Amino acid sequence: MRNLRYLLYIAVLIILLTLPLYTGVYLLNVMDIILIYIALALSWDMLLRSGQISFGIAGLFGVGGYAAVLLHLNFGINPLISILMGGVAAGALAWLVGMAVLQLRGMYFAIVTLALAEIFRVIIRNFPDLTGGPEGTILPSAIFAGNSTKTYWLVLTVAVVSIIASEIFRRTRIHFALTSIRNDEIVARSSGIDVFKYLVFIFVITSAIQGMTGGAYAHIYGFVSPEGSFSVDFTLLPIAMALLGGMHSTWGPVVGGILLGVVSEFLKLQIPYGHLLVYGLIIVITILFFPQGILGTLGQRLKKTGNE
Amino acid sequence: MNLLSKLKQSSYQITIISFVLAIILAIWKPHVLIEGIQRACLYAVIALPMALILGIVGIINLAHGDFMMLGAYFAYFLNVYTGMDPLVAIFPALLAFFLIGIASYRAIIKYVLGAPELNQLLLTFGLAMIMEQLANLLWTSRPIKLPLNYVSSSATIGSFTFGTFEFVYIGAAIIVLSGLLLFLKRTSTGQAALAVGQNPRGAKLVGIHVDRTYLLIFSLSIALVGAIGAIFMTRHSIFPLVGAPFTMKSFCLIAMAGIGNLVGILWCSLILGLAENFVLSFRGYAGWADILFFALIVLVIMVRSHQRQVK
Repeated sequence: MRNLRYLLYIAVLIILLTLPLYTGVYLLNVMDIILIYIALALSWDMLLRSGQISFGIAGLFGVGGYAAVLLHLNFGINPLISILMGGVAAGALAWLVGMAVLQLRGMYFAIVTLALAEIFRVIIRNFPDLTGGPEGTILPSAIFAGNSTKTYWLVLTVAVVSIIASEIFRRTRIHFALTSIRNDEIVARSSGIDVFKYLVFIFVITSAIQGMTGGAYAHIYGFVSPEGSFSVDFTLLPIAMALLGGMHSTWGPVVGGILLGVVSEFLKLQIPYGHLLVYGLIIVITILFFPQGILGTLGQRLKKTGNE
Repeated sequence: MNLLSKLKQSSYQITIISFVLAIILAIWKPHVLIEGIQRACLYAVIALPMALILGIVGIINLAHGDFMMLGAYFAYFLNVYTGMDPLVAIFPALLAFFLIGIASYRAIIKYVLGAPELNQLLLTFGLAMIMEQLANLLWTSRPIKLPLNYVSSSATIGSFTFGTFEFVYIGAAIIVLSGLLLFLKRTSTGQAALAVGQNPRGAKLVGIHVDRTYLLIFSLSIALVGAIGAIFMTRHSIFPLVGAPFTMKSFCLIAMAGIGNLVGILWCSLILGLAENFVLSFRGYAGWADILFFALIVLVIMVRSHQRQVK
């Protein structure tokens, strides 16, 4: 059974890797967007497993993007390495901020992360000499000179890295620590879990993934701007995806990301100015009718029928 | 959450600080003082209904500013089709948004009252998104503004000229605040609402209809914020995203004043309004004014959590 599962993973990976052989550029571009959102949704969900809701995805995404672009432009660092360094920058920033912010819980943490994302954006907008100010900075050329196959492989790598990170967190003792913090922090503390250390650790890791994704995004599209890189979309859409697919799991956000990504491509053509409306509706309906998400609800159904 | 004792304690210190600041400002930059107070009252009047919902129903309504945006559009279209003045449109807006409040409570909010905080946050987040996008789809993102003559009225003292219409915000803030305080303290319904806010289960035990109280408070707050939208649109141009920043700012004020402290919101908004206008008055540094609210919200929440831990 276990071998079969690994075989399945490998088969899917091979199909994904060789996708450029049988599809066109348009589908690859759609896949790029979907994979980027999947990485963001997974990183958000990983932090959520400890019970902390972050509304600051866009902040770290933007910081990573700016770090990658500025390092590449000013120091001539290889784009691929600069993407990694964007992740490192976001992680380091998260470590600094997290030391203070992770004392907070619940809605206070959520609101402060949202405020921090805004603060990052305003700071970057107000240093025009370094960051290009409100107009942003344009790279001389996109990564790999815009080659869509190589770009796709890059994004696929980012997404796979986040999936692997998520699976590691699910299978090791970190999973038990986070779940126990989420369920009851006092019990977690009294059973010897260093709550603060675990929270800082997971916050830094998820922020690094968000920063890395931001770096990849910035290099693929060849520009960063305060409004574009810190767009509220990068906070909202991943949350909607994780929520729809099912929280607290690896495959929930992935399934949600694929579904919403495909739906949004379709909706963009149908209602160009209002496709976010459907996202809002999906969030509300999911919360009201099946708060477990698609995979969670399916899992429950399967268990029920299995027991009967 | 003892409303009265908390209120006296914290507003005393805040009064002294803001008084000293006001005197310095009045001499140095009178513009900043007058416009700051006007702006502050606008913030306060928008934050008050949100504080009411958070304090009694216990829901952070992230769609708060968007209800104001809808109120503004409501007043605009009332003016376009019937020629009604936006300031008169306050009354139909109150009624209409009371009904909208009832509808959204019955259809949506009611079901997440007992749910985890995350679900409530996400739900109102989704609601905000629906309202913004719907407005965007129906009325496009083009800013609109009514040509009203009386909004640009001004007065002159010596060599110093300032707008007088904006004093309507100060009036609105005083009316809403004193009205709410009277309602909560003098009427039995208001006291029942306070009891529900303190302990829903206890309130239920002594025979208060908790669900009906939630419904009333939620709808009342939505009605107020809708009516404020009508006042807001007289002076400002409106577009679908106009309300979103006010949600954050309102939450900031509530977090600063402490949940349940209605008077404190007025003082906190004075500080923030003046500080924001102060930064705006320096040429070249206006871009930093946006950060002030957010920096303060982070600071206040951090200090508060630190105080709690020390205790």
